[in-house]
Formats: sequence, C-alpha cells, structure tokens
Amino acid sequence: MLKQLGYFIEIIRGGIITTRHFSVNMFFHILNLFHIKTKRKGAVTIQYPEVRQKIAERHRSLHRLMKREDGKPRCVVCMLCATVCPSECIFIEAEEDPDPEIQKYPARFIIDISRCCFCGFCVEACPEDALRMDTDEIELADYDRDNLVYNLEKLLK
Amino acid sequence: MMKIYIDDREVHVEKGMTVFKAAENAGIEIPHLCYHPAFPPEGTCRMCLVEIEGLPKLELACSTQVKDGMKVHTKSEKVVEARKGVLEFLLAEHPMDCPICDQAGDCKLQDYYEEYGLFENNFSESKERREKKIRLGKHLIHDNERCVLCRRCVRFLREVVGTGEMGVFERGIATEVNILDGMPIDNNYSGNLAQLCPVGAITDTDFRFQTRSWFLEKGEAICPLCSRGCNIFIEHHRGFSRFDLPKRVYRISARENAEINSYWICDIGRYGYYSLDENRAEKIIANNNISIKNYEAVLAFFTEKIKRLLYKKKTSRITLLLNTFLTNEELFLLKKIFQDDLGIKNIFFIDPPAGESDAILLTSDRTPNKKGAEELGFEITPFELGNLADETEVLIIFGNYIAEIFSLSDIQAYFDRIKDTFLFTPHRSELDSKVGIMFPTAMTPEKGGSLTNVDGKIQKFSPVLEAPGDGKAEWKILAELGTKLDVNFKYYKKFLSPEEIFRQMQKEIPFFEK
Repeated sequence: MLKQLGYFIEIIRGGIITTRHFSVNMFFHILNLFHIKTKRKGAVTIQYPEVRQKIAERHRSLHRLMKREDGKPRCVVCMLCATVCPSECIFIEAEEDPDPEIQKYPARFIIDISRCCFCGFCVEACPEDALRMDTDEIELADYDRDNLVYNLEKLLK
Repeated sequence: MMKIYIDDREVHVEKGMTVFKAAENAGIEIPHLCYHPAFPPEGTCRMCLVEIEGLPKLELACSTQVKDGMKVHTKSEKVVEARKGVLEFLLAEHPMDCPICDQAGDCKLQDYYEEYGLFENNFSESKERREKKIRLGKHLIHDNERCVLCRRCVRFLREVVGTGEMGVFERGIATEVNILDGMPIDNNYSGNLAQLCPVGAITDTDFRFQTRSWFLEKGEAICPLCSRGCNIFIEHHRGFSRFDLPKRVYRISARENAEINSYWICDIGRYGYYSLDENRAEKIIANNNISIKNYEAVLAFFTEKIKRLLYKKKTSRITLLLNTFLTNEELFLLKKIFQDDLGIKNIFFIDPPAGESDAILLTSDRTPNKKGAEELGFEITPFELGNLADETEVLIIFGNYIAEIFSLSDIQAYFDRIKDTFLFTPHRSELDSKVGIMFPTAMTPEKGGSLTNVDGKIQKFSPVLEAPGDGKAEWKILAELGTKLDVNFKYYKKFLSPEEIFRQMQKEIPFFEK
C-alpha cells in the first residue's frame, strides 16, 4: 500500500517537517512576544546581502600582505608559503633591497585565488607574520578569471 | 691493518688514518663544519668531538689519528651534550636570518640544530652586529654575521688556487674572515667558495635570491664547456603548475670526482649555464619555399637529398661540418653513415675558438669531446670557407659556430652557390635565415651518451633536462637517418639508445673497450 503512494509519501513527510519547524519556531516567537524567557530562541532569517552576520574571529578569508612601518611589504621572500601551499597557487619573485637590514623583498607576489583552497597553511608557515587571512572578504566570485589572480598591489591594500 | 671500534662496530683501518675518515668509511656520520676532505684538518669548529675510551677529555675526530684497539663513541651522552654546547656557542653569534639566506635548505648549521639543538637561546646579551654585505669579488658576497669561522674559504684559496686573497683578521669576538685590502677575489675558481661555505656566509650573486634550494632538483651531468669534462650537478627547477619561470637551470655545482675535478669546477663551467635557456631554437625553420613542419618531414626531405646524390654516385658533393660538442656516439654514427657508408671525404670541424687554459682544471679547448673525435678516427681539420668548393651541393652543418668565426656576408656568398643547406643546432642565430632547413637539437645535458675528456677518460651521462620545443638529440636523428638511407638498414635498426651505440663502438674501436 505504502509503495503505491510513491513519492507522495515523501511530499507528506516534507510537509510534516516544514510544519514542525514553523510551529516550533512560532511557539518560541509567541513566548518571546509575551516576554517569557526561554533557553532556545525562535529562528530568524537574515536578509543577506542587505543584512550580514559577523564572521567568527578565527575565520579564513582573502589574504593580505602586512606592511612594515615605512609601508614596504613585511615579506622577505622565504617562499615557505609557496612551498607549503597544497594547491600551488602562490608565486613569488625576489629582488635585492639596497638596505642591508632587509636585503630581500618581493618584486612579484601572486596568489591565484581561483586555485586557493583557503587551508591557511601559508599563514601558519610565515615566519615574519607577513601574510594574514583576516580581511573579512569572503565574496570573491568574479566574472573574469584574471581578476582572481591577486598581485602584490592588490594584496598590500 | 689495524682494528678499531666505533660505536661498538669493528672497523679495519690503516695507520695514519684519522678517526673521522675511519668513521666515514664505516658509514658513521660525524657532524662537522670546518673539516673538508680536500684539506688537512683544521679543528676550528669543534663539532666533530668524539669520546675515546681511556682519554680523559673528548677528542676531535678530524685530527685524531687511529691507534690499534681504540674504542670510539660518536653518539654517547657525553658527546651529544658537548656537541649541543658547541652548537649553542656557534649560534650565539649567528643572526638566524634563514628566511633570507640562500644557504637555507643546504645549511649544515640548520641540519645540526635540527639534530642536536632545538634549544632556546640562553643568552640575554644582544648579538654583535657586523657587516652583512661585503663584496668579495665578481660573484661573491660575504655576510660576516653568518660566518662560523671555519676558514674553508681561506684554505681553499691558499691551498687549491694558490692566490690566497682571503685571510682571518682580528682576534676574539672581533675575528672576521675578509679579503685583503683592495684585492678582490678575481680568479677563475672563486665560485667554489660559495659552494664550499658550510653556512650562508659566502653567497653567490648569480644565485642570490633567485629561488630557494629545496625547489631545485640535482641532475648529474658532465660540464661540456672545456675538454676536462668536470663532473657537475645541474640544479634545475621543475616549475610551478600555474606560473611560468624565466629559466629552468638555476645553478651549477661541482660533483665530486677524485680522478678528474676533485671537488671543484671553474667559473666558466659554473656560470656557463645560461646557454641552456637563452636563445634556444624550438621550432623547425624552413626557407627557400620549402614548407616543412614536422620532424618526420625534415628527415624524409633530408634523406631524399642524400639518396639522390647516392644513386647518382655523386656523394662527394656532400660537405659535412661537425663540432666536438657532439658525443662519442653521435660522432661514431656520423663516421659510420657519412664516411663509411657514403664515402664522403669533405668532413670538417668547426669549434668555438680556443681560450686560455690554467694549471688547475680549465683546458684551452672549449669543447668537451675533441679527444673522442680523434680516437674515433676523425682528422680534426679546421674549416675554411674555401673548403666549400664549387661542387658542394648539400651542406650539413652541426652547431652554429660558423657564424661566430666567419662574417655573415662571407657565409652568405658561399651559401648562395649551394643548393641545400641543413643546419642542426640548439640555438637561434642569424644563420637560421641563410640555410634551407634549420632543425633544433638538444644540448649536452639534454641527451644521453658519453664524452671523452682530454686525458682519454670516457664518461657516460644521462639526460638531465628535456630539449625544448621540437628539439631532438642528434644521435636519434642520425640513427633514423641510418635506417632510412637503406645502405645498411639492419646495422642502424638496433640503435634505440646511446647505450646500444656505445656497445657497437666497443666492438669496433678498441679505444672504447675499456
């Protein structure tokens, strides 16, 4: 008998789940209306993208390069990030800095975000704290692939 | 013969041998910075301390001679503790700027810290600041902060090169290694200093900041830039999957071979790797309304031209210009095909001009295989443009050194009279537009084979890199040409690798038998 009902049984089951969610949430909302405090709150839909939720502090988002006090990149091109990167999306080219205290600075620093898997290994590996993933930028989709290749200027911003 | 015991292992040694050498022979590694097998022991770094039973204090393995029945411990608690102490003192003045140090990855100090150290810095005093960028010579930069005063550089310049441009100055904490005033290192072996330095104190400007050493793969090769045939490592980058690198080869370093080059190579070989990546011929170029795109078509066209002359019995109208960069196998095939099968007598050699030689390694020939060509029975007749007599119809050129020696207008005048010219070369040059067909070939590290050095030592090698574009090794082209000419099909059919050609050479030419 049940088999003959076919997918109707699934539709009915879905209807039950929706009704359950609605009534449970409604119950808590009504309690809230009468200022009765409950441990659980009724669910609220956030109107993204107009309304945004705060991202957790230890999240990983778009990379940024840190600067020294004088505005130069902190990166010393040790290439540990490029070495550890599992998707091989970091490419760096070094240049000689006339300052003997700095010696080495990045002439090119490219991160191909379209390949990045946001594992954060590069940030962990960096001995100079020159690379961080705390820009809060998580909406990185683009119509053009070339725009997803981030160079030194874009990363230093 | 004496018996000693190292870490409870019985080792047979000869009289006068040092403990270090004995341990090395037995496969026991003793950490060291200042010791180098090419020099007598110096004993400045104190890293090779070992415990010898019956002696009250720890002894230096590098300078202590063996005695019969000696019992040596290289890994006992006392020794490890002492090494830790030595390492701590070495690192007390070390700047720890490994992120920007080119030696990182190859550094002995890094390795030993990993093995024995991993301790926190116990010194509250700040580190002494020293000069970080001293120009020692054309290719060398010295960082006094990183130096551990092993004096390998000083000893190398005094004992191997004999010029002695460097010395140790001052005493105590102010001790530093430097060049004597106004005398920069300017000898042909200065590049070895960067390789010799156990830490990153002396670095090579040519390699400086180019890449990190752990990205590089080391390929065993033979230096083709003079007839000494020094053993080298070609350190090349495999590249990143997403980004193109400007070059493949980043560094050449010396490979130990006691019979030929010991531990050194000259600067000509060390910095002569640019030709591997610069100006390479990658595509076939066909002029004079010949439309040829691929290798098979070139070979068919080439064979056709030779065959036509062969049937007319006019093979004397073929002239062959060779060079001694070609391997023994290639020269052997050339001799077999052109001299023995076709009976061509117009075979000339055109090599880059000879340079200066020195008493250490460099020879005046700037090609690797002149001796090999002589042993194969070629007469090394230098080429003159007048040799291209009026009757030459087909000219086959290997290498483009002709353009380096003769002026282009002279070459043009002669080439105009020749019907077909074939150029097999790894590099682009102005000659490309003057010849009928230019075919890209592989350079020495891109093909397998063997070379005979100036002393008659035959050294085999395998390809380290791949030829760019359509490039092919000459032996492959020649073996195929041999089969296609139909003169002696069976003979050439078996030549599928340089090994097989070499085996055939051994059968035919007694010089290669050994």
